[in-house]
Amino acid sequence: MNSHNDKLLIDVGSTYVKVCVESNAPERCHLEQHFRNFNQSILDDLMHKCGHTISAFAKDDVYICSSANGGLSTLIIGLTHTFSLKYATNIAFNSGINIIDTILYQDIASATVPSDLIDVVIIAGGINSKGNAFADDLYHYLQNINYSNIVYVGNEQDAKVAKAQLPELVVLPNIIDNRLHIVEEELKAYLTNLYQQDIMGKEDIKDLYQISSNQIFSTPYIVNQTLPLIDASYSVVNPFILLDIGGATTDIHYSKDLVDENMVTNNEFDRLVFKKLGVYKSRESLIFAAQGNEFVYELLMHLNVTENIFHEQSDKATRILMQLAIFLVLCKMSHYRQTYINLKLSAVNSIVLTGGVTKVLKQEEAEDIISFFYTKILTSQHRPVTIMDTDYAIWTLGSRAQDANHRAK
Amino acid sequence: MSLLQEEREIILGNEYVENFDFAEVEDFVKNASKELFISHHFKHSNKMLVQPRGGFPTYKKQFALNEFFVKANVDVLPLTIDSNTRLNDYRSAARMLRLSEENDVDMLNGYPLVNHGYRTTRKMVTHFNKPVSLRHGTPDARLLIEQAIASGIFDIEGGPITYLLPYSKNFPLDKAFLYWKYVERVCANYSQLNEPINRESFGPLTATLVPPAITIVIQLLEMLLSLEEGVKSFSVSFAQQGSMMQDIVTGHVLKKLARHYAEDIGCGDASIHLVYHQWMGAFPTNPNYAEQLISIATVVASMVGADKIITKTNQEAAGIPTKEANAETVANTQYSLRILNGLPNITDEQEEEILTEEVMAIMQAVFNDPADTLWRKVFNCIKSGIIDVPFSPHIINHNQMITIRDEQKNIRIIKRGKVPIPDHCFAYEKAQCDLSKDTTSIVNDIIHDIGIMQ
Amino acid sequence: MKVVTGVIGNDIHVVANRLIDLSLKARGYEVFNLGVNTYLEEFFDAVIETDADILLISSLNGEAEGWSREVKALKAEYKGLDNLIMMIGGNLTVGTGKAEDIIPKYKNYGFDLVCHQVDLNTGLDMLAEFVKEKSA
Repeated sequence: MNSHNDKLLIDVGSTYVKVCVESNAPERCHLEQHFRNFNQSILDDLMHKCGHTISAFAKDDVYICSSANGGLSTLIIGLTHTFSLKYATNIAFNSGINIIDTILYQDIASATVPSDLIDVVIIAGGINSKGNAFADDLYHYLQNINYSNIVYVGNEQDAKVAKAQLPELVVLPNIIDNRLHIVEEELKAYLTNLYQQDIMGKEDIKDLYQISSNQIFSTPYIVNQTLPLIDASYSVVNPFILLDIGGATTDIHYSKDLVDENMVTNNEFDRLVFKKLGVYKSRESLIFAAQGNEFVYELLMHLNVTENIFHEQSDKATRILMQLAIFLVLCKMSHYRQTYINLKLSAVNSIVLTGGVTKVLKQEEAEDIISFFYTKILTSQHRPVTIMDTDYAIWTLGSRAQDANHRAK
Repeated sequence: MSLLQEEREIILGNEYVENFDFAEVEDFVKNASKELFISHHFKHSNKMLVQPRGGFPTYKKQFALNEFFVKANVDVLPLTIDSNTRLNDYRSAARMLRLSEENDVDMLNGYPLVNHGYRTTRKMVTHFNKPVSLRHGTPDARLLIEQAIASGIFDIEGGPITYLLPYSKNFPLDKAFLYWKYVERVCANYSQLNEPINRESFGPLTATLVPPAITIVIQLLEMLLSLEEGVKSFSVSFAQQGSMMQDIVTGHVLKKLARHYAEDIGCGDASIHLVYHQWMGAFPTNPNYAEQLISIATVVASMVGADKIITKTNQEAAGIPTKEANAETVANTQYSLRILNGLPNITDEQEEEILTEEVMAIMQAVFNDPADTLWRKVFNCIKSGIIDVPFSPHIINHNQMITIRDEQKNIRIIKRGKVPIPDHCFAYEKAQCDLSKDTTSIVNDIIHDIGIMQ
Repeated sequence: MKVVTGVIGNDIHVVANRLIDLSLKARGYEVFNLGVNTYLEEFFDAVIETDADILLISSLNGEAEGWSREVKALKAEYKGLDNLIMMIGGNLTVGTGKAEDIIPKYKNYGFDLVCHQVDLNTGLDMLAEFVKEKSA
């Protein structure tokens, strides 16, 4: 079977599964994509839809990555926006985490208490010579919330008290050094592992080890590994952004020179997620966000539809929603709307689209919406080159690179 | 079509570029007059080339400036780019250019080359038929350099370190390395068509108490990054430091080690040149003193055997010099050079040995970094403080090295931070200074030393 | 004592900034230098993260005035900055202005110490004096 060095790559998303045969013999390569059946386990669903393909591969040749479980939910408590909260948020996004809520510690008394279970709480703040940054109000607040893990990456002096108060607390080195610079390695490793354990702990995912003997990785992790390779292998030109618009969330990976941040890190690209921006699971919140945007009606007019489209269930409605999603994401990242970061979008040379959006929109439809954004919001004639990753080449490249790394070790 | 070509097309597809005709540009470079290539002059001229500074927003004023320079017997024309273009903000540059043209007031501090475009700029360059040197300060100069070469500008200053650490607070250094790699590759490609395109590193850095060891290391590294991409003509440079002895030693060590490391990576076929900048620090307000400082610089440049000198004016302290002052300094420098003949070849052997050891120790630390590419090694070394540039505003720079002038005005390292200056060299440096004073007095000395020539 | 310092706004005068840093260290302060191009919120956030006693803002291009108007309102959003000593120095106005007009204006913006075109050592002597009086 494997004289052609064939491999089977599987990406389990929240909405779709992608199955890809990689081979040295081009005629053997192919890609299939299926809408997930949520009434079945992932494995059953997979075997039902492409059991024939899967069964042709030995377990050693099957590589799986997953974002099916939506990732970890995170609550970050920090002393300031510029340092502790920003640094922890940056590290969490780059570790593949999708859901991040932040609390400024001085406002903790009035902060709302989340009702859902939180996967991991991160506490950050202060350089090591600062003590007494946190007091009892922190521990009172934590008593009222449900969480599975808690990690402390703040100043050294408060670590002892925190550990005494919270025996389950994991204490890692401070993410802020004495020059007020970011220290990312340990927290990043911790969160990446936690995410990894979470994936492997899910019953649905555990099943998948019946068809693969390789470690299952998170999809954002794989994509992030690929970014530095992208401009070497594709006609993607720095600085670029990569938008992964899917069913539940939208992931953005961006060249670091698109932001003016005082963070010296080792990665050329950072990641950011809009957690409730997708066209299936997050359809309602996407529509809600759209209705709050003052340019949307102009955009609908431009697309020759009315707002009734929001209530339709059709291919056309899905297409319009995808276009809206691109528009809203660009708006959120431009200076027009303030978020965690703003990107210098007028300097972008390429916009790469991947994920479900490439299955729904044609190249011209994506380009049309990007032009609309640049004209209306940035009043600019600038037009980044749009690249549709229709055949999931980026994900494939990442999985292959992962495989190569694995073998090298 | 190669990947680089696709990349070039996307970059030159920018809305501010009017229809870049690759084939036509290639043809132009292929048939361009040899006179436009500074590499050609380096090869055939037996005198030091003189290059002033200067850039004006409008075509008309830039043209007039060049006319003045030519009358003053200039060897190399400068083209200094405005600060909006340096930040890739072509939109603001366009607006300011229009205002400058309409109101006859200079709204930009240089020539916005991208907005003028290569067709227009080439007319000026070919009209004067002299080599033009591009001066800018751009971390991402991909678009600018394409336009410059298409305009007939074949001497390109800058580099990922020397154009970033003195000017920017937070532009990511790793990106700057990748963007300059593109520049090197484009220069290398064009170099195959006619005479080579010359690349020049910017040695003055922050022009504030930078010790020669740091200056030389950065010159050597930018040279290696350029040569490894195929560039065949490269100028290392440094600026007048305030001590004649230290300048002469720096010149010797820089030349010797540039050759050494170029051969070390198998690029011994490249031609390497030395460029000397007249005083880049704060200038005396008295124009007569300023003039003395400038003539001394010309003497030093002759003693170090510079291939090119970049001039300053006696109006430096008062703001941006007029075109008359800029032209005058060219004529004066040419005059000085004509009378500077038969200089003795002198050096200070002990100083030369110490400086060589310091540079080689830092270079070794860079090469020892485990990264797989040279640029990544350099990046890691700047990040970890093995390379530390005094008075750099960039957040990645450690700013732990402290320098001061000794009695002979030599710049000495009194705190080395994480820079691997060998112990006995460090002891020697410190022994030249009076460190018995209290710390506030030492800081006052540093403040005094920064304004040394005022 | 801990000092947070930096140059406010779109100001890139790094030499003055480094000299303030060196001078403060020479006088025994623990210095957190945010460098050039620093915004008001970053200054206050750095004070919180470091537990600094003193905030020394410098401005050389005259931008200080615009920013300083926002000091009081922004500072009020923070808890725990009441004992912070606030100092500003450099060229505090665009063009020419008289120190006797400028100083009260900046004191009104919320600065304890205002040094307009004052020599660095004199300014730091003023700071030392102020600290001494305050703790007395």
